[in-house]
Amino acid sequence: MQFGVFTVGDVTVDPTTGRLPSEHERIKAMVAIALKAEEVGLDVFATGEHHNPPFVPASPTTMLGHIAARTERLLLSTSTTLITTNDPVKIAEDYAMLQHLADGRVDLMMGRGNTGPVYPWFGQDIRNGIPLAIENYDLLHRLWRDDVVDWKGRFRTPLQSFTSTPRPLDGVPPFVWHGSIRSPEIAEQAAYYGDGFFANHIFWPKEHTQRMVGLYRQRFAHYGHGTPEQAIVGLGGQVFMRRNSQDAVREFRPYFDNAPVYGHGPSLEEFTSQTPLTVGSPQQVIDRTLGFREYAGDYQRQLFLMDHAGLPLKTVLEQLDLLGEEVVPVLRKEVDSLRPAHVPEAPTHASLVAARDAAADLTGAENGR
Amino acid sequence: MTRRTLAVVSAGLGQPSSTRLLADQLAAATRGELVRRGADVEIRPVDLREHARDVVNHLLTGFPSPALREVLDTVAGADGLVAVTPIFNASYNGLFKSFFDVVDSDALADRPVLIGATGGTARHSLALEHAVRPMFAYLRALVVPTAVFAAPEDWAGEGADAALRTRIRRAAGELAEQVDRRPAAAGPADPFALTTSFEDLLAGRDPA
Repeated sequence: MQFGVFTVGDVTVDPTTGRLPSEHERIKAMVAIALKAEEVGLDVFATGEHHNPPFVPASPTTMLGHIAARTERLLLSTSTTLITTNDPVKIAEDYAMLQHLADGRVDLMMGRGNTGPVYPWFGQDIRNGIPLAIENYDLLHRLWRDDVVDWKGRFRTPLQSFTSTPRPLDGVPPFVWHGSIRSPEIAEQAAYYGDGFFANHIFWPKEHTQRMVGLYRQRFAHYGHGTPEQAIVGLGGQVFMRRNSQDAVREFRPYFDNAPVYGHGPSLEEFTSQTPLTVGSPQQVIDRTLGFREYAGDYQRQLFLMDHAGLPLKTVLEQLDLLGEEVVPVLRKEVDSLRPAHVPEAPTHASLVAARDAAADLTGAENGR
Repeated sequence: MTRRTLAVVSAGLGQPSSTRLLADQLAAATRGELVRRGADVEIRPVDLREHARDVVNHLLTGFPSPALREVLDTVAGADGLVAVTPIFNASYNGLFKSFFDVVDSDALADRPVLIGATGGTARHSLALEHAVRPMFAYLRALVVPTAVFAAPEDWAGEGADAALRTRIRRAAGELAEQVDRRPAAAGPADPFALTTSFEDLLAGRDPA
């Protein structure tokens, strides 16, 4: 089981001080959070991608390339890569490049997360959200696998004898997750390709996750990639911890009450009961997180949203200490003991290379070589 | 005997509310007419006032609380809808609009709806025609021709009261007729159901 953090990269006023960090400060804070994630023993850092204020991560591979150079084992990922408004050719090239620089410590998560006005800035139209996600990914999938591509589609200029460079590291494309909150088409897409499915699982009730993951698992098996239990599932999660749970609630409440997503609406208590948000002691976070598998099944990746709503970097780093030192070691032990042997770990570059080589050996043996 | 459900949404803010009173009378008259036609009718009243905070929370967070989920399912799954609002500033009140803003946009398609309103003066009555009816037309609901407006005088003098009762009876008859013509409601649609094949998606074909 992989554990990590994912970030939206919002620049938000700290409601307790009224202070707004600069973009520069926020970008550097994201890097500090990634370095801290590795330091405290987490496995994954994933950055969002946005092209409008108040968000800063417009260039994820620049940031992840920088982090790759400053870390040793941290897996670098996205949450999400905009498969709708990015040219799939550029995604293929950028992430293959990153894969080389990071020696394979790269995967990515496809998403549509964008508002209507953003699409036309990139020559697209939000009404084509799903068709763009389907067509662009199908092209991306080919660009990483076929050395020479001839292609024609609805949304970009045709390609003739095109080779996306650099080719993926060791000839093995980065593993891909598809993220969606409530579009069954995206669960279907993930299942079709045998890719991973990631449920946002932070701002919405667990029933969304349960239905989407259930659909993905069933269709993963339908397309012959394994049993439903063997499908590759990732979940989000959102926590705020202090040793004493009352302290956590007291400290987090002003951030909750003013947060961009849920602020000025439901109470903290309503929201924690209706969504996976957990505010309390490390033990409460452990207990709640262990409950996720009861409705999502045994899964492979758990990412936490830790740095949003104006929380200062110092607080976020303290949260990561608690997460890395007190929560994740216990969760790792528990989920590994609960997971049946036939349920795989999340694919990594090393495991994908090994699987590719094993398949080649098998083909070779069948051909009598 | 066919089993029918009538959702009765009232956006009245007072307690007791004349809006709810009108809604109850419309519901009772509709039930009477459906029973006469041989149906078994269950009335499900929804006082939006009780869900005011949940409605606003849903607008902000994008999902309903469990209690509001139940109400939305009741409205989406009913055979007929009676919707009554007080008229504020020449239109439905904000609570009424906010509630229908969080109802799924397809949930009321082809659903028979009877609209009613209350107001401080009869001069508000056409708000039903220029505000409430177009909103349900947008939702592709089937709004029956008679909309019922109750002004203060309708609750008072004897002759006026009789006129209100006549309008209620006519509107209820129209709603019952539309409900009776349709098969029993299938219940709310499943938003997570896969309705297209991946081959069609890949080929850029719209689902049939």
